[in-house]
Amino acid sequence: MKTNLEEINRNIYDIKNKDDYDFKIKKGLNKEIIEEISKQKNDPDWMKQIRLNALEVYNSLELPTWGPDLSELDMSEIATYVRPKTKLNSSWEDVPEEIKDTFDKLGIPDAEKTSLSGVGAQYDSEVVYHSIKEDLIKQGVIYTDMETAVREYPDMVRKHFMKCVPVNDHKFVALHAAVWSGGSFVYVPKGVKVDIPLQSYFRLNSPESGQFEHTLIIVDEGASLHFIEGCSAPKYNKVNLHAGCVELYVKDNAYLRYSTIENWSKNMLNLNTKKAIVGKNAGMDWVSGSFGSKISMLYPMSILNGEGSKTEFTGISFAGAGQNLDNGFKVIHNAKNTSSVVNAKSISKNGGKCTYRSLVRVAENAQNSKCSVSCESLMLDDISISDTIPTADVRTEEVEFSHEAKIGKISDKAIFYLMSRGLSEADAKAMIVRGFASPVSNALPMEYAVEMNNLINLELEGTIG
Amino acid sequence: MIKLNETPVRTARNFNINNIKLDNIEIRRRLKPFQSAEVFLESSKDVALREIYDIVLEYGICDLLTEQASNYELTVNINSKMKNTVMVDFKFDEENDYLVDKIFIDAKPDTKSNVIIKYTSKDDLEYFHNGDIKLRAGENSEVNITFVNLLNTKSNNFIAIENEILDGAKVNSYMIDFGGKYSISNYYSNIIGKNANNNLSTIYLGKENQVFDLNYIAELYGEKSSVNFEVQGALKDSSKKHFKGTIDFKRGAKKAKGNENEACMLLSDKARSLALPMLLCSEEDVEGNHSTSSGKIGDKELFYIMSRGFDEKSAMKLMVRAKFNKILESIKNDELKNEIIYEIDKRLD
Repeated sequence: MKTNLEEINRNIYDIKNKDDYDFKIKKGLNKEIIEEISKQKNDPDWMKQIRLNALEVYNSLELPTWGPDLSELDMSEIATYVRPKTKLNSSWEDVPEEIKDTFDKLGIPDAEKTSLSGVGAQYDSEVVYHSIKEDLIKQGVIYTDMETAVREYPDMVRKHFMKCVPVNDHKFVALHAAVWSGGSFVYVPKGVKVDIPLQSYFRLNSPESGQFEHTLIIVDEGASLHFIEGCSAPKYNKVNLHAGCVELYVKDNAYLRYSTIENWSKNMLNLNTKKAIVGKNAGMDWVSGSFGSKISMLYPMSILNGEGSKTEFTGISFAGAGQNLDNGFKVIHNAKNTSSVVNAKSISKNGGKCTYRSLVRVAENAQNSKCSVSCESLMLDDISISDTIPTADVRTEEVEFSHEAKIGKISDKAIFYLMSRGLSEADAKAMIVRGFASPVSNALPMEYAVEMNNLINLELEGTIG
Repeated sequence: MIKLNETPVRTARNFNINNIKLDNIEIRRRLKPFQSAEVFLESSKDVALREIYDIVLEYGICDLLTEQASNYELTVNINSKMKNTVMVDFKFDEENDYLVDKIFIDAKPDTKSNVIIKYTSKDDLEYFHNGDIKLRAGENSEVNITFVNLLNTKSNNFIAIENEILDGAKVNSYMIDFGGKYSISNYYSNIIGKNANNNLSTIYLGKENQVFDLNYIAELYGEKSSVNFEVQGALKDSSKKHFKGTIDFKRGAKKAKGNENEACMLLSDKARSLALPMLLCSEEDVEGNHSTSSGKIGDKELFYIMSRGFDEKSAMKLMVRAKFNKILESIKNDELKNEIIYEIDKRLD
C-alpha cells in the first residue's frame, strides 16, 4: 500500500524569508532592462557590450524543439536581477541576521569551519559572503565573487568569460550572458594543490525571479582543486528560473573535481549550462546529485582538447511528483589517447519523469581514445517515467566505445532477502535505493554524502511502504 | 530537401540524429509496372497470393514516400503451418529501374511461415526502391521473415516495415542491408499481444560513400511481451551509419523485456558511426537493456589470423564474417546464405 503525500516537508530548504531587497529590476527582458542591470552592476563597457549582444542572440534563437515543455516560462513575468539588502561581506557577523540565519540552517558556516578552505554564499542575485583561508591566498589562489573578478582581474576574466560556453550555444546561455549576476571566480596557480574543497552556495529567495550566477574556474598547469556547488530555494506558486553558467578551464596536467548537490524548489526551471575544457594529461571529474526543480535540463560537458586528458561523470537524478528532470552528460574527445567514463543513475517515483540524455563524440583526430558509458534507471512505481536517450558519434576507427543501459524496478528477490534478515519492506527498499545511489555519494566528501543520503531519505518519505 | 526517418522522441538538434535530410530524391508520380519480380510459390490451401494492397502504415519513413503510388502490390495470406518458403525476388535492370512495392503479409492464428523478400541489382545503374511492408502476426502464429537488400551502391533504397504482433505470436525478422547510396530503413513493431515476441537481427555493410539510416522502433503493450534488436555492422571507406533504436515500454506492459545491442566495426578512419539507442519506460515492472559499441577490429585478433598465413584483407574479411556469423546462421535457405556470404566478400574487396 503506497502512501502518497501531497507535498513532502523539505524542512530547511523551504524556509521563506520576506522578499526584502535593496533593488529589484522590473519584470521582463529588453534592452532597457539589460542596460539598467549593467548600470546597477557598474559594468565596464566591454561587459555591457557582451550583455547587449547576448540579448540580440537570445531574441534570435528558438526554444529547444526537444526535451521538456518550457512553454510555461514567461520571461515577462521574471525579474532577472534582485539585489539583497547587504553588501559583500567577509565575516558572517556582518551578514544581515535573516540571511545569515538561512545559511546557518543550511549548515554553510559550520561546513566552512570543519571541511572547507573557502566559501562563497549567494543570496538572490548577489554574493553576500566570500572568504578563503589565508594559506591559499599566500599560494596565490584567487577565490572571489565574479563582480570583484571583473573589476580586479579584467584581463583574465575577459580572456575566458563566455569563451568555453559561447553566447550562441543555446537560448538560455544567451539569456544568461545578458543578465548574469553573482557567481564565483577561482584561479589556482601552476602547481598548487588545493587539498580541502572550496564551496559556493546559491540561494534564491525572491519569488518570480531568476538566478543567473556565473562560475569561472581556471586550474592552471599541474594544479588541482575540488569545487563544490550547492543550490536551493523555497517553493512559490509561480515559476522561478535558474540559468547559471559554469566555465571550467583545466590546464595541462591539472585536475578539477566539480561536485554539485542541486536541491532547487519544485517550482524552479533549472536550465543551467556547464562546460569544461581539459588540457593535456589533465583530469576533469563531475559529481552531480539532482533532486530539486520542476524542470531540469542540465548536461555538463567535458571537451577533451589535450592529448591524454580524462574525464569522469558520476551523477544521479531523483524525480518525484510533478518533476521532469532531463539530465545527462556530453563529452567531446578531441585529441589522441583521451578517455571518459560515465556512470549515470536515475530514480523516478510518484509520477516523476527522469530522462538521461547524452552525447559522446569521438572526433577524427582522437585516435586511441576510450569511452565507457553506463546508465541505470530505477522505477519505484508504475505511474512514473524513465527514458534513456544517449547519442554516440564516433568518427575514427581507432577507438573503444561502449555504452550500456538498464531500466527496471527494485528486485523482489533483493527485498525478500533483506526482509528475511529482519528489515521492514520500507527499510529494505530504502537501503537498496541508497545502495543504488552509492557511486555518487562515495564520490562526495563525507559531509555532503550525508546530506545526499538525507535528501534521498526525504525524497523516499511517503513513497515506500 | 526532405526530412526522413524521424525518431519517435527528439534529442538536441546539433546531435544530428533526429532525422536525415536528403535532396535530389526523384519521387515519380506515374510509374510503369515493375516486371522483374518473381514470387516463388503458388497459391494453395496454405497460402493465398493476391495482387492488391490496402493498408496504410502508421509510421513509415515520411509521408511523401508512404503516399507514393505503387507499381507492385501483393497480399500474402498465410493459412496454415507451411513447410515451403514464400520468396519475393525483385531484380532491378535497365527496364525495371524504379520500384514502389507494397506488400501485406497476414499470418492467421496458429500458423507458421517463412518469407523472404529480396532486392538485387546486377549492374551499377542508379535505381530507386521504395517499399512498404506490413506484417500482421495472428494469435500464436510464428513468422520468420528475411529482408535482403543487395542493391548496388549507386541506388537509393527506402524500406518501411511494420509489424502488428498479437497474443502469443512470434516474429523473427532478419535484415541484410548492404546496398544503396542511401539505405533508409524504418522498422516499427507494435507488440500488442500478451506474450508476443519480436526478434530483429540485422547485418549492414557499408563501403564507398554509402549512408545507412536505420530507425528501429518497438512499442511494447502486452504483458510479458518481449523484443530483441541485434544489429551488427561494418563500415569501410567513407561510409556512414546512423542507428536509431527505440524500445518503448508502455504502461501495462508488465513483465515485458526489451534488449537492444548494436555493434559497429569501423574499417577505415573516414567511416562514421552515429548511434541513438533509446529506452523509454512508462511501466515499472519491466526489464530493459541496451548496449552499443564502436571500434576497429582488434589488432591482436588480426595478428593471430595473419600468423596463420592469411593476408591482412583476408584476415579482415574473416573477422567481419565471424561477427556476422550468428545472424547468417539463422538464415535457413542455404542458397540465399551463400549469396550473402559471396556479397560480403565482394563488398569487402
